Amino acid sequence: MTRFGRNLYQARVHNQDPTTLIGIGLVVLFCYLIAAPVVLLLMDAFLVQFADQVRAQQAMGEATLYYINRVFFSAISQDVFWRPLLHTALIALCAIVLALAVGLPLGWLISRTDLPGRKWFSTALIVPYMLPSWTFALAWMTLFKNRTTGGSASWMESLGFAPPDWLAYGFLPITLILALHYTPFVILLFGNALRQFDSSLEDAARSVGASGGTIAGKIILPLMLPSLVSAATLIFAKCLGDFGVTYILGVPVGFDVLATSLFRAISTNQTGMSALLALTIVVLGSFSILIDMYLLKEARRFVVIGSKGSMNRVTRLGGWRLPAFGFAGLVFVISAFIPLMALFLTTVMKVPGVFSPENFTLEFWVGTGLGTVALQQGILLTPEFWRATWNTLWIVGVASLGAGFLGLIVGYVVARTEVKAVALFLRQVTFLPYLVPGIAFAAAYLSMFAVQRGPVPALYGTPIILVLAIMADQMPFASRAGISSMMQLGRDPEEAARNVGAGFLKRLTAVVMPIQKGALVSGVLLPFISGIKGLSLVVVLAVPGTDVLTTYALRLVDYGMAQASNAVMLMICVIAFGGTMLVQRLTKSKLSDGLGGN
Amino acid sequence: MSNISLSDVRKAYTKSAPPAVDRLNLEIPKSDFLCLLGPSGCGKTTTLRMIAGLEHPTEGSITVGGNTLVSVEDGVYVPADKRNMGLVFQNYALWPHMSVAQNVEFGLKLRKTGKAERDRIVAKVLEKLGIARYRDRLPSQLSGGQQQRVALARMLALKPDVILLDEPLSNLDAKLRLEMRAELKRIHQEIGATVVFVTHDQWEAMTLATTIAVMSEGELQQLGTPDDIYERPANRFVAEFVGNLPINIIELGEGTKGPLTDWARALLAPLALPQPAGSVGIRPESVQLVSQAEGETRPARVIDIVPTGGSWIVELAVDTDSFHAITPQAPQVTPGGMVGLSVAHEHLHIFDAAGNRAQTP
Repeated sequence: MTRFGRNLYQARVHNQDPTTLIGIGLVVLFCYLIAAPVVLLLMDAFLVQFADQVRAQQAMGEATLYYINRVFFSAISQDVFWRPLLHTALIALCAIVLALAVGLPLGWLISRTDLPGRKWFSTALIVPYMLPSWTFALAWMTLFKNRTTGGSASWMESLGFAPPDWLAYGFLPITLILALHYTPFVILLFGNALRQFDSSLEDAARSVGASGGTIAGKIILPLMLPSLVSAATLIFAKCLGDFGVTYILGVPVGFDVLATSLFRAISTNQTGMSALLALTIVVLGSFSILIDMYLLKEARRFVVIGSKGSMNRVTRLGGWRLPAFGFAGLVFVISAFIPLMALFLTTVMKVPGVFSPENFTLEFWVGTGLGTVALQQGILLTPEFWRATWNTLWIVGVASLGAGFLGLIVGYVVARTEVKAVALFLRQVTFLPYLVPGIAFAAAYLSMFAVQRGPVPALYGTPIILVLAIMADQMPFASRAGISSMMQLGRDPEEAARNVGAGFLKRLTAVVMPIQKGALVSGVLLPFISGIKGLSLVVVLAVPGTDVLTTYALRLVDYGMAQASNAVMLMICVIAFGGTMLVQRLTKSKLSDGLGGN
Repeated sequence: MSNISLSDVRKAYTKSAPPAVDRLNLEIPKSDFLCLLGPSGCGKTTTLRMIAGLEHPTEGSITVGGNTLVSVEDGVYVPADKRNMGLVFQNYALWPHMSVAQNVEFGLKLRKTGKAERDRIVAKVLEKLGIARYRDRLPSQLSGGQQQRVALARMLALKPDVILLDEPLSNLDAKLRLEMRAELKRIHQEIGATVVFVTHDQWEAMTLATTIAVMSEGELQQLGTPDDIYERPANRFVAEFVGNLPINIIELGEGTKGPLTDWARALLAPLALPQPAGSVGIRPESVQLVSQAEGETRPARVIDIVPTGGSWIVELAVDTDSFHAITPQAPQVTPGGMVGLSVAHEHLHIFDAAGNRAQTP
């Protein structure tokens, strides 16, 4: 009797609070949406695929090293792996050096000097980061492409100058664009670190007789080092996964990086090989993240106990004000103004780069009977454009709503459950997509959802796979936001509600959700912006019927329709930029807090 | 009828660590104003939260007004939202997104009280606590004292059978403390509910409570009136915990010796105790200081005199041992001078070897 009573008691105690039950539900959900695809990808790389049975001389499903041989040691390994790897490494390295060279002075100018227009620059210089990286690849094409790829003429060609291939395509423009795109990383991370730097440490050094140079070299630099390495590893991880820029500027002339090589393997249905390539990217990406995490942990040892000394000391630039202003202005013009203007002007010119009045036209926006194969009407009159816009809004919208709410619920469970294992697993599984570059994650989703599994039919070709993939891909940010806001909330408001008679659901809807309104809004909007911009994930999973704006723009690029693709790209930029500003306004936060998004 | 009864309550958060609360038996009569007093980590807050239902006991049972809320053996567990308990949190835990009126109204809405009735009750309790004019403000726009009044109003609106307060005065400044003390006393008298509150502050306990339960390391040390606790501490822990200046404890166990011990043995000799004492406690305020060393007194050197506004702490040295006294009048000596100590027998707190209060003949 007492044993029965005790069990009943335990059941009643646990029954009053379904948090852990919800947590277990989430564990199952994320095993299905995140862990299973990645595990399947892992298996695909080591099991013989249907199409490779003859060449591997093994039956389908057997364990094999065939793909390892093929990717790393065979005759084609140079083309599918080693050269793309070299390209990726070189591009990442040069982009890091360049971004640091440009970003460090700017970070300092913005955070610690009396640079004219400092406040304006602190937003303006971040603009490239708010837009998709391949916006700038399109702009580059518009300005510099030559007859090697055909299509409409570039501005340079119109001006009577044929850019050589090394300027128009491949290593140089890709590196330059990625460097400029990720310079804001350096500005934000380094600038923030400088801003939080306790200037009493400088005073202390000065009081024992250190010179300005000694202070910079022996005090400031060592303390700033973690933020610099952190910026460098982030840029490396991003370059590793960047697909769009090389797809536009490299692939047409046979210049591959790992991401485009993987894309080719996927689009030619080489499942095993693409799985292995994807894993390679994941491993490299994980390494860089682990290094970053290790360094951040190290950096915490340096944490100087906060004091009022952390006030921001402004360095007077004196005679250097104007040159500094010129430098910051130049970076803005090159990294944001010229590319966006070039994109925009192209869409209102018949022949790009010819500035005569009769050359200007709105027909690419609203014209009819254009007579080109790909596009009969102006982009605003084209049904495909509106379909893509609608697809984007609802697919990304549903995905980010899902991510935002799931993120908050994950946060709730992690903060509240008494079962620590559930909390730990949820933290880790929702972080997993962060280690997997978009294109590899898409490959994982193909492994999982391209065929029927149990009661779930094959989802490839449906919008559902996009919704699920985008949602899962955004979980690292959504769950981190949810966890941190729930941790800050504390238990008291909920316990007070319990005390006046509110049950679990009532507490969630009347107390927790309303208090977390702000966190929820940004938890939905940030994934939305990121999803609108995202290309690498959807380019693998979208089909013409489920085109979103990014894949539609890319399809127009493939057709050589520069004006139309630029117009679509501008629309994406407007949504992304407007959304980012809206989030900043709503949450009164800085973009730097959400750093690390796509 | 609303007496609270805890029997054999035990709460262990993990299997390995010592329990937060152990073997707790407590009967709280109706309309009592009971304080759970103890140092931090003694299990007092856990006890309060178990009564409220925010923690569940590992063993034991809790009944309120004849209704069993918790019984581990019989499988009874009433969740927090089904108990009619009015809990006021130490940091008030007002809902930041609701106005003062909405905070107070929330519980009534959950009970499906009609709109007109709700408005009437909200207006009444806000009026009673003198915060009616803040009804549309958000908690963040109120001062700490006002926030506490809102928390009290939110609790009172539901007419709870039992009122639970977590450190009700600790976040307030000296003036507000007095004001809120009077307020709490008035509320208690007016509605006659049973009040249980926890504190680590003995001033709060002594001034508010009709009964005090002193706890230490999860166990109940003594249950009694403030006078009992102060005048007749049940053991050395209670004697040492209660009192503005720590009580002077003189060890008397076997093999102990020293000037104070010798003096205390001499004081106890005429009492003819049934068994030898383990220690004796003398409150600083029950020590008599005589200007000349004469008769029964023990001479001591004055080390320092500390004025505390209305009374004086006198730091003494009895040969090599140190000793404290508090006098209501300024002592007529200067540091370095000699005084005589004497203590009336009824002010000796005698403890046995285990530290429990010894029966005096």
